[in-house]
Amino acid sequence: MRRAVRVILVRAVRGRREQGGPWGEAVLAEFDQTRGGWESLSWAAGGLRAVFQERFSAYAPRNRRIVATAVIGMVSLLAINQFVLTARYAPSGSMAPTVPVAGRFLLDKASFRVTGLHYGDVVEFPIPAAPDQHTIKRVVGLPGDTIDCRDGRVFRDGKAVDEPYLAAGSRTDCAPATVPAGKLFVLGDNRLSSADSRQWGPIDETDVDGRLLATF
Amino acid sequence: MPRTPHASPQTLRLFAALLNDPARWRYGYDLSRETGLASGTLYPILMRLAGQQLLDTGWEPSPEPGKPPRHTYRLTADGVQLARTRLAAAQERREARPILREA
Repeated sequence: MRRAVRVILVRAVRGRREQGGPWGEAVLAEFDQTRGGWESLSWAAGGLRAVFQERFSAYAPRNRRIVATAVIGMVSLLAINQFVLTARYAPSGSMAPTVPVAGRFLLDKASFRVTGLHYGDVVEFPIPAAPDQHTIKRVVGLPGDTIDCRDGRVFRDGKAVDEPYLAAGSRTDCAPATVPAGKLFVLGDNRLSSADSRQWGPIDETDVDGRLLATF
Repeated sequence: MPRTPHASPQTLRLFAALLNDPARWRYGYDLSRETGLASGTLYPILMRLAGQQLLDTGWEPSPEPGKPPRHTYRLTADGVQLARTRLAAAQERREARPILREA
């Protein structure tokens, strides 16, 4: 192990040059003083850090701070965009008038995992019939609910659902369905031109990618 | 408030070690053993001190042929002065706040 560690340290200090920088050489010369595998390893690991500092101290600290800020900022923005909050376009008009076709919205990808989903939440998920495309729909039924439609209105467990988000004069037609455990019954707000749980059946809760936070 | 340079606990430990015998040239490995600082902590401090002319550096040829020369360190006059100032200030702080005394 000592020999392997030494080879790595030599490569780091000297690279392709005959001689490394003075501090790298200093760490390397002291390497022979260390005893045992573990001590040599920790010496070399710290030495790598020192060599790194030596090589890049050519940049003024001010520049380094700017670069570090930019890199950390970029990485955290990417992570936030990927896992916490992102902006999307509505892919279709099936959620009109809440989200018109090509309307922009903010998608919250984190909080629903803590708070759980509730009636009326608008969620994003892959379309079961075409999983490479995502869409947004409204949660109408949670596990255990029975969904039915009468006279153009939605009934949940026999009670009419108040749906203020629908356009005036909107009608809903559906076949009765019971939502199994781990599933969600979702409908588009544009009931006449929305493909949703009425066609595909309830969707998997685990497929939900995020919850609509706001439109803009 | 701007930070006081060369006042970290690690730097103070190094100062204390170097002040034991300020005239003697010291090796990096020995300093690491004496202060308990890992090489990755020790060398950046040494680099910083040397860069500000607080630390003299030299090369000592190895007694055994074929072995590389070893890098040696000791405080400059400025360095000795600064080290004493910093250690005294740290001592004062410890006495002013006995509850936070280092274990």
